[in-house]
Amino acid sequence: MLHAAAWFAWLIAALIAVSTTRNPLYLTLATAVFMATAHAIRRPGETYAAPLAPGRFALYVIPLAAIINALLSRVGDTVVLAIPSTWPLIGGPITAEALVYGALNGLLLTALFTAFTVLNLAVPVRDLIRFIPRAFYPVAVVASIAVTFAPVTLRQMQQIREAQAIRGHRMRRLRDWLPLFMPLLTGGLERALQLAEAMASRGFASESRTARSTRAQAVSVLGLLGILGGGLLIAWQQVFWGALLIVTGSAAIVGMLWLTGRSIPHTTYRRASWGFREWLVTGGALFAIAGFLFWGSTTRAYNPYPAITWPAFGTLAGTALLGFSLPALVVRGDDDSL
Amino acid sequence: MRRLLRALIYALTTAIGLLAFLYPVIMSGQTANTPLLLAFVVGLSFVALLLEVQGDAVNAKFIALLGILTAMNAALRFAEVAIPGPGGFSPIFFLIIVTGYVYGGRFGFLLGALTLLVSALITGGVGPWLPYQILTAGWVGLSSPLLRPLVRWLGVEEGWLEVVLLALFGLGWGLLYGALLNLSSWAFIVGPGARMPVTLRETIRLYSAFYVTTSLVWDLVRGLGTVALTLAFGAPTLRVLRRFQKRFTFTYQPQGA
Repeated sequence: MLHAAAWFAWLIAALIAVSTTRNPLYLTLATAVFMATAHAIRRPGETYAAPLAPGRFALYVIPLAAIINALLSRVGDTVVLAIPSTWPLIGGPITAEALVYGALNGLLLTALFTAFTVLNLAVPVRDLIRFIPRAFYPVAVVASIAVTFAPVTLRQMQQIREAQAIRGHRMRRLRDWLPLFMPLLTGGLERALQLAEAMASRGFASESRTARSTRAQAVSVLGLLGILGGGLLIAWQQVFWGALLIVTGSAAIVGMLWLTGRSIPHTTYRRASWGFREWLVTGGALFAIAGFLFWGSTTRAYNPYPAITWPAFGTLAGTALLGFSLPALVVRGDDDSL
Repeated sequence: MRRLLRALIYALTTAIGLLAFLYPVIMSGQTANTPLLLAFVVGLSFVALLLEVQGDAVNAKFIALLGILTAMNAALRFAEVAIPGPGGFSPIFFLIIVTGYVYGGRFGFLLGALTLLVSALITGGVGPWLPYQILTAGWVGLSSPLLRPLVRWLGVEEGWLEVVLLALFGLGWGLLYGALLNLSSWAFIVGPGARMPVTLRETIRLYSAFYVTTSLVWDLVRGLGTVALTLAFGAPTLRVLRRFQKRFTFTYQPQGA
């Protein structure tokens, strides 16, 4: 397995690269690169774990975004359809430019979605939980309990269903689910009691280790005030001071988290190693984002208004995007030694 | 002092959340430029709220109970993803509302937020929409004890009217959850640099048009589904939760410690 931090670096670089552009050629290329990466790192026989595969997501979101934008934005030279303006709410011209712009938004969303799909395929749930900040120690414990017990619950549901079916119980109306739901709930609560006793007997501290100090609360309040004030200032056009306030407030909260986390002792049993492949993936992502921002500075922006033009394409910037495909070269889903 | 700070944290995170959700409407006439930044801000205010709320997760019993109930709810959501029901039907809100009502707002908040987090982890649904979903589902649980004074005032504790009130609460949140998440996804769909309608009134008019045409049916199905679940399972679930509450809340003071 690749170190999870390498994947996070890859994801953040990919998100930044994709959100800085609106050029359909780059967006399509980036989506293709992400999809190829997802395909390469997928274990054989494993389907997409996400509710939707990227292709289906694109089929759904691109037309939707196009229609919404066409209804929202009535600018553009090429009128495709003129809805009489007397019609309530949707009256007015529908322009090709607005449709294209909306479709581009959908394409951008598809690219973001595909990048997240790669992360979901690549990083096991346990490693994701490990990334919950140390200050959230109780929450991390709860999350790992929940992740462990969710399959157990599904199995339990199946067993209760079979038991009730053997007794001749039939599911017709919603109320017929009651003999299925109540044993599940009662059994779950009983199991929670047993688990609590087991945890206590193994020395799980009965007191909170996250000392909830008044100082931490006060810093939280100040940080939140900064964010709120900054947001309001930006809404009133004071962008610089607003951004400054938001950054300060965020920094205060993050710093407080770090300080709280430091006071919680923890032990690492299996340290994930950072080797050549991690450097390669991170380096590739860094090269891709830097190259794309540098070489694509003139071609990244694309605006279909007032009339649709063919988007420009920079070969160097496009090549830089290929840096995001490096994981496909070093990670193989079918190789168990990785 | 502590209570004041806690109340301030609740109020500020709610205000920031609302501001972030309403951002596309407030910024009408300007270019919306920052969907990822907004997701970051929402995530951060959730983090501050979580740090405050988790201080109650002090003992093994609380943590085990929360973990198991989260697992149950996430498993229900898994069933929802695997077998798409009609419209936006989702079985998770029933347990979040009822548990928050019985075990308190902080428990409900953690159950709501962690259900969304854990089910996203299990089903691979991690994405930029996750902070909004987590925060909103947390609000659902955090707000459900607000019904308690009403129920006490009406004097209908452990009666059928209590279940009806919980069901109506579920209907309201079913609609509100959809409307709030729509607002956030609007920021993504409209995206950076879009030409927003010029006046606030126009924006609200357009938004309500979209809401009615695209999402009202889904939200109604979600709300009515929660109503049906609450009416069918509400009374027995309340009984079980109250029975276990006594078993979960005892404290043990060791001698000479």
